[in-house]
Amino acid sequence: MESSNWVFEMLKQMGPGCLITLKLFVITIVLSIPLGLIVTFLYMSKNKPLSKAIGGFILLMRGTPLLLQMFFVWFALPMIPYVGEYLELKDRFVAGAVAFVLNYAAYFAEIFRGGILAIDKGQYEASKVLGISELNTKIRIVLPQMFRTVLPSVANETIILLKDTALISSLGVADLLNETNKIVNRTTNITAYVLAAILYLVLSYVLSVVFKKLEKKFSF
Amino acid sequence: MYEIEAINVKKSFGNLEVLKGVSLNVKKGDVIAILGPSGSGKSTFLRSLIDLEEVDEGSIKVCGESLCENGKYVSKKEKNRILSKMGMVFQHFNLFPHLNIKENLMLSPLLNKQASKKEIEELAFETLKTVGLEDKMLAKPSELSGGQKQRVAIARALMRKPEIILFDEPTSALDPELTGEVLSVMSMLAKEGVTMVVVTHEMGFAREVANEIVFMHNGVVLEKGSPEEMFNGAKNEVTKAFLNSVLK
Ligand SMILES: Nc1ncnc2c1ncn2[C@@H]1O[C@H](COP(=O)(O)OP(=O)(O)OP(=O)(O)O)[C@@H](O)[C@H]1O
Ligand SMILES: [Mg+2]
Repeated sequence: MESSNWVFEMLKQMGPGCLITLKLFVITIVLSIPLGLIVTFLYMSKNKPLSKAIGGFILLMRGTPLLLQMFFVWFALPMIPYVGEYLELKDRFVAGAVAFVLNYAAYFAEIFRGGILAIDKGQYEASKVLGISELNTKIRIVLPQMFRTVLPSVANETIILLKDTALISSLGVADLLNETNKIVNRTTNITAYVLAAILYLVLSYVLSVVFKKLEKKFSF
Repeated sequence: MYEIEAINVKKSFGNLEVLKGVSLNVKKGDVIAILGPSGSGKSTFLRSLIDLEEVDEGSIKVCGESLCENGKYVSKKEKNRILSKMGMVFQHFNLFPHLNIKENLMLSPLLNKQASKKEIEELAFETLKTVGLEDKMLAKPSELSGGQKQRVAIARALMRKPEIILFDEPTSALDPELTGEVLSVMSMLAKEGVTMVVVTHEMGFAREVANEIVFMHNGVVLEKGSPEEMFNGAKNEVTKAFLNSVLK
């Protein structure tokens, strides 16, 4: 009885951190998926310089550590002459979230591009001979098929994101991991770590179940 | 006036000249079968007629209106208007896998505001009935057999009420026992007077349903004529050899 109270107390202390972790997760998903879609279409556009520039962005985001990108947004941007003072983000959480969104947009963009390339060229031909415009072909034919194809990869990436959110604790944001650390330091035992692991695990599990459902729903 | 008039059409892929001056006249109600060995340019020619390939030289007219003249194409808007008179059926069906059968049929007419939604829905039902698949309205393409898929693809093309339907080997991807149901739908359309240009290896269909056989070889039309003329007395040795080999 005593010990279960004690665990419950600990969970309660971890609650706000857990919320921050979830907030970062949701913000990143909600913003990086549409942004990734835009990045894909720009990358695949016929405009060569634009496509090259977007290619550079993707390389940068995928070729450097997310942690470094977070530090960069937080510390380095304000130091850029003239524009820096406007770039300074007052909130550590916002700085981290900006890095997360940009980084994940690049990963999602590459997943989406794979999904688009997997669409049979016969789909475009059928659409064309049926007099469906290029824009409608994108919206009604390409996007729905692409989303179905990429669902498993998006699910995978989403679970990675859930765990990656812990990186934001390095900016001093009071997320789940950071709060857990504080508790462990205070209580000098590892119970809080175990609880945090269980929390992450439950969230990952819920995600994987949701995505399995989505896959079933949108199967064709 | 011809439904399709192709004059001296030329087309290269890089250094490979695939169409070396192909001409073809299609009259209303014609069923034309294009035969020829693999790589002779049949698909490329058929696809050129509906703007899936852009030709380098020559002219193409549809129902008296120019799609391209001496290799120069009309504006996009003109193209869309002219091409709306044609439908095409592909070897691999190319149904939209994420949409059910009804949605496959209705998508283009809805987007092109061909009629009210209710009318389009009724048309979809009637059209599916003519290909014998009205009970599959809500099925997904993946739930159909190959023959059923191709009949849906034909129905989808019919939804736009085209003057002409092009078929590129419509039965080549099917198991032999499923070709019959597709060919009989095509025969029915032929009887109803739908103009058709069909690239095919089905000699029975070519002989019984087509009123003209066009034999292509190496990017040219080597010989053409009525089925009797072609199957019983082809003049060209290459034509004869090809027909003998496929009829065996
Ligand atoms: N997009 C393309 N790029 C390059 N070469 C092509 C392309 N499409 C067709 N070809 C070539 O053009 C030639 C004619 O091809 P086409 O598909 O028109 O022949 P076909 O008569 O339809 O043959 P089959 O009976 O095998 O379908 C072939 O040599 C083919 O390799
Ligand atoms: Mg072919």
